[in-house]
Amino acid sequence: MKQARRLAAVSREAMALGLHAGQKATDAAALVPDLVTADAEPEADAEALRALVDWCVRFSPAVAADAPDGLFLDISGVSHLWGGEAGMLADFRARLADNGLPFRLAIADTPGAAWALAHYGPDGTIASPGWQGELLRPLPPQALRLDPDAAAQIQRLGLRRVGQLMEIARAPLGRRFGRATLERLDQALGRSAEALAFRRPATPWVARLAFFEPISAPEDMARVTEDVTARLCARLEREGRGGRRFEIAFHRVDGKTPSLAVGLSLAGRDARRIARLLQPRLETVDPGFGIESVTICAYAVEAVSGRQARLDAGQDPAVEDGLAPLVDRLVNRLGPTRVFRARPRESHVPELSVGRDLPLETPTAETPPWDRETPRPVRLFRQPEPLEAVIALTPDDPPSQFRWRGRVHRVRRAEGPERIAREWWKQDIGDVSVRHVRDYYRVEDTGGGRFWLFRSGLYQPDEPARWWLHGLFP
Amino acid sequence: MSGSRGRLAAIRATIAALEAGGRPDAGVLPFGDEGLDGRLPGGGLALGRWHEIVGVGLEAETSAAPSAFAALMAAPLAKKGEAVWVLRRDDLWAPGLEGLGFPPERLIQVCARDEAEALAVMEDALGTVGVSAVFGEVEAVDLTAGRRLQLACERRGTTGFVIKRRPFGGTGKAEAAGSVTASRWRVKSAPSEPAADEFGLGAPRFEVALERCRGGRTGAWILEADRAYSWEAGDVAHPLRLVADLGDRELAPASGRRRAA
Repeated sequence: MKQARRLAAVSREAMALGLHAGQKATDAAALVPDLVTADAEPEADAEALRALVDWCVRFSPAVAADAPDGLFLDISGVSHLWGGEAGMLADFRARLADNGLPFRLAIADTPGAAWALAHYGPDGTIASPGWQGELLRPLPPQALRLDPDAAAQIQRLGLRRVGQLMEIARAPLGRRFGRATLERLDQALGRSAEALAFRRPATPWVARLAFFEPISAPEDMARVTEDVTARLCARLEREGRGGRRFEIAFHRVDGKTPSLAVGLSLAGRDARRIARLLQPRLETVDPGFGIESVTICAYAVEAVSGRQARLDAGQDPAVEDGLAPLVDRLVNRLGPTRVFRARPRESHVPELSVGRDLPLETPTAETPPWDRETPRPVRLFRQPEPLEAVIALTPDDPPSQFRWRGRVHRVRRAEGPERIAREWWKQDIGDVSVRHVRDYYRVEDTGGGRFWLFRSGLYQPDEPARWWLHGLFP
Repeated sequence: MSGSRGRLAAIRATIAALEAGGRPDAGVLPFGDEGLDGRLPGGGLALGRWHEIVGVGLEAETSAAPSAFAALMAAPLAKKGEAVWVLRRDDLWAPGLEGLGFPPERLIQVCARDEAEALAVMEDALGTVGVSAVFGEVEAVDLTAGRRLQLACERRGTTGFVIKRRPFGGTGKAEAAGSVTASRWRVKSAPSEPAADEFGLGAPRFEVALERCRGGRTGAWILEADRAYSWEAGDVAHPLRLVADLGDRELAPASGRRRAA
């Protein structure tokens, strides 16, 4: 095919004049001499679609983009918030119209049927559960999202309706038009599942609050945070579940949706606790010209057994739970890397023998504890510090004197050496070298200070030994 | 003599009651040596209060001996609940605590970004159910911060250990004029004395001076980490063992409280 400029999309007015997408630009210009064209920008279109997908999260947390110009909204379990599917569709329509976007909508059991009805059916169709087959019958075969070759062949054979395809026996249909055609038909009719790539992980645990007037005052935001959290937690409570992560999104009048997330160390559903974790960070949320609705989603939802209310809890409600709220407060304020519990790891290398776990995580692997009989320092420097003016008998006597941080220490007692080498079995054979060997000594100076020092590398007669201080004993 | 002593005891009890302000007493943690416990009010380390541990010389920066001493003092508490250690420099090494007999699996470490945050985290942890001891490495505790820590300690009877530590190469802040600390211990590592048949270093020893003690008397001792670096580490009633009394002889006549090792 020759290179030619073609129309990628046409406006409503142009369509009325007989232009259509895919037409050659020269043909179009001949039909409509004063045609105004602009270069297609697929990247910008994709970006705009992504923004629209984000915007749609106010309706359902599960939104999937359908490039180039569509999107799927999984509304199972959320339409009741609008009083039914019709109400939801009406609200959706009104809000899209406010944004000045042309659109076609349909609701059906399966993504395939909804796609077909939105593209080829009457606008705003709501297929009642199980009835999408009847509604699909009069539509053209292209409504099944077939690939162009199969669609062309179906057209050539004179099949003009989906209903005619449905009447053909499965085996000949698959043989003649390919498995993909069969698959698409099954997907539309709900006989096989279709995986959608949701922009956000789907969670059925969502609560939403919409306001008559946009809000922006900090105290209002704090209050709605508490209200929407309470709404979600009431549902979690009813179903005996708790979430590990909560994400709250503020839907602004101008279409932007700033959000906040908090994590819990144990799955929970205490609305006050979660709201209290969110509230200090509300000041980072810019309300812009106002917030018209707020949604909260729970992730990593798991079953949480109910707890017997304590009879002596009246004096202080915080008694209920001690450590978990503390850890949550600290983790959310300082970040997850700054709050940890040290756990043994299987390694001889001092730096690798300590792992850091989240404080309330139960250790997954059963690693033996650190050996109590091998003395280890209580302070370990991240970078061993070089020692100067070390007097030591070669090859393997401990130093009798050394200088560290400008002070000379005379060694009175010493223990060692303890040879610790790099774990050569974990690296390439070429990297293995005697340089990665350390001879550790535990020494005590005349003042009572106890140090953990090492000489790096094996003794080489022609090279001066290098000494380092790695840690301090009490 | 005994009459005046009795009256003195009565006055002390009245003062203690006034100081407590009707709060329930959180009890004490005895060291297990009458010479040491006798200097402390109530016969042991006061629980539900906060104590200050300071280092000497370079130890004020590195804080190996003061931290180990604090951990050993609190080891019996760590068996009863969780411990929280608020760090400024991320160099506390859990295997070393294990060898001394402090259970690192009961310890939550928190790295604070600045002094104010360290104190805030301490306060938060002290007021939490299930936490029995809170350690904090801070430069200085002023009067207000001290009062806040004290109030947090009293909420649940949790014991705080403030380990004074100044930044590397820093000069440190001026010592606050007044302090509400229950006790202040100045800790220095002392030369170890291995048994005659032992090779190398002996068990860690500390030269400890009790500089300040609310309702008690000051003193100085040499203490040893009992059973350190052995399988029995931590399996003793109190992991600190009194080795020698260096105390001022005027207040406490030397009675040779030197237990056989």
